[in-house]
Amino acid sequence: MRTPASARGARPATAHALVPTVTLALALVLSACSAQQDSALSTEPRTIKPVAGCDDNAWTDPGKLSGTRSPARCDKGAPAPRPLKKHRKITIATSTLTAEYVGPLQIAIEKGEFKKEGLDVDLKVLPTPEALPLLAKGELDALWAAPEAAVINGINSGFDIRWVAGNFSPAPSSKSGLWTRLRKGETPDSVHLADRKVGTLIGKGSVISYAMDKVLAQHGATMKSMSFQQLGSSDVLTALTTGGVDAAWLLDPVWRKVDGDKRYAFLGGQPAGEPLGGALFGPNLLSDDVDAGVALLRGYIRTINTYFAGDYKKNAAFVAELAKALKQDAKVVKSVPSLRMDWEIRKGTTDRLQKAYRDAGVTEGKPLPEEKLVDRKLYAEAVGHKP
Amino acid sequence: MSTLEKPRSEEGRVIRRPGPRETRPESAHRRRRTLEVSLAVAVPVVLVLLWQLAATQQWIDDRVYPAPSSIASDGWQRALDGELWPDVWATLKRVLAGYVIGTVAGYLLGLLMGALPLVRAALEPMMDALYVVPKLALLPIFLNMFGLGEGPQIALVAATVFFFVWISTMAAVLAVPEGHRDAGQVFGASHRQMFRHVLLPASLPAVLVGARIAAGVAVLVIVASESIAASDGLGHLIFDSRALFQNDVMFVGIVCVAILGVVFSELVRIAGRFLTPWAPRDRGRGQS
Repeated sequence: MRTPASARGARPATAHALVPTVTLALALVLSACSAQQDSALSTEPRTIKPVAGCDDNAWTDPGKLSGTRSPARCDKGAPAPRPLKKHRKITIATSTLTAEYVGPLQIAIEKGEFKKEGLDVDLKVLPTPEALPLLAKGELDALWAAPEAAVINGINSGFDIRWVAGNFSPAPSSKSGLWTRLRKGETPDSVHLADRKVGTLIGKGSVISYAMDKVLAQHGATMKSMSFQQLGSSDVLTALTTGGVDAAWLLDPVWRKVDGDKRYAFLGGQPAGEPLGGALFGPNLLSDDVDAGVALLRGYIRTINTYFAGDYKKNAAFVAELAKALKQDAKVVKSVPSLRMDWEIRKGTTDRLQKAYRDAGVTEGKPLPEEKLVDRKLYAEAVGHKP
Repeated sequence: MSTLEKPRSEEGRVIRRPGPRETRPESAHRRRRTLEVSLAVAVPVVLVLLWQLAATQQWIDDRVYPAPSSIASDGWQRALDGELWPDVWATLKRVLAGYVIGTVAGYLLGLLMGALPLVRAALEPMMDALYVVPKLALLPIFLNMFGLGEGPQIALVAATVFFFVWISTMAAVLAVPEGHRDAGQVFGASHRQMFRHVLLPASLPAVLVGARIAAGVAVLVIVASESIAASDGLGHLIFDSRALFQNDVMFVGIVCVAILGVVFSELVRIAGRFLTPWAPRDRGRGQS
């Protein structure tokens, strides 16, 4: 007996319908098999030895919050490299390769500072929310970002991630921050921001929330009393100048466009002397291979001490080199003041960040204690500071 | 199912005996429909159950891929608390406003260009060039034109929908058989009557197919647009929660978008069925 094509088609049609289902199911199961839950961190006590070239100035009391505090520094070229016994590859994710705060990483790679430690560092561009699970799973070793609300939520959900080093605080002359269009009769001191619309490149879950919270409080507003409009980098300035928003958080070097214009006023920016970002490590460098984690920070700290110790933009040759590494125009790099590179993390920063996130309604639950979010032991070891 | 018997004679005759499809067509059709509906329901249910199992057994990281039950309970709670509706409503009104504007404009221009060769000659190259521009790339232009607020979002949806409806309308009008127009002219139909009694009924089914495709694309575009420049809406909800690593909320947003897209597309299909009863019956996704 032969079956006609019309009838034969029925069974294959059903089979065809099931093929994608089975494929999807298999894919799900296979991806499931590769997934793993993270284990709690377990680090053994480590011996901290004094480091040549890193004296008392290599450590500042984390409790000192003064904006005029000089950041910790070692001598140029210190701490000296201590190459790992076995060469190791390190993958670091960062959301941008062109921002100036990534400069120390780029220059460290360029100058071979990580190579001297036995590290082969590879930078990958990846936004923080995408990088977090990879960092927690050990597919990434570090994340060059900030303890944003996403990080807090990730750690709150059980990810073994810690903020292990700072990045920078703005120069006193920097005007990167909240700018407003002045209304008739308003002066920068009399600006009342409540109920106004703020344009921002970064959402409420960014560390900028904390800085903005502080600035708004000085001008009779809170995060909840304002409406926020998230915009692209070029659109933030356009929205401010065309009246689309009343105020805007302008980053380097965009604020230069309105600086000196009497129609706009700078209300405040990131708190001086308090880094709000830097290196976040996952279990690979926090517990599996702490030597590599310390080596990475040693290379980073040495780069700061060697190339970014003071007003590094006074050196035109270095600015050209930095601009090349950041793939930026040297004039643009030079147009804003040098950042105060700072590898240390201030006490209570994560508490203040979490308060700002809760005020902005982007995190839930009880705030996490600092020890769940911050680990200063690695940079302390790199500069030979015994707690 | 009909069957073929082996040839019994040397001439190689083929005897075809009627199968259930021929002898009992209604019940065969019913069985087939039942099978299709069962598959349509069972496949997603099995996948969701598999997902749930994978999450609860921790084969997958439920912080990254939350279990369907926690997505459902989170969505339900948000709906009860009234947190979800402002975003749903914001997206819905942008889609509806943009869709209506885009459909009307696309239909009118499609009719004009389909009916008048000179207008078609004048506008078609330019419209073809604009058609291939990714509509999301127009968002910064719309932001400059309409400022912040609803304008750019609605304009983006309208621009997207416009091209789908315009192309399908123009093609449908051009495809109206010459004989239909001749018949209208023989009966002395005026321009209005020609439109009302010939062009409209002949072109509307194809136009509505374009409108249905546009309905899905409209939802797709608004979600992308809201992720870039909006402070509410489902697109904003999805991308904002992704940025905050609130994956359960993100999945709630994704599910809402999927439901919105399906419902909107189905409503357009049902509206099409009522508007064009003369058109071949579209029975939805199952095609038997």
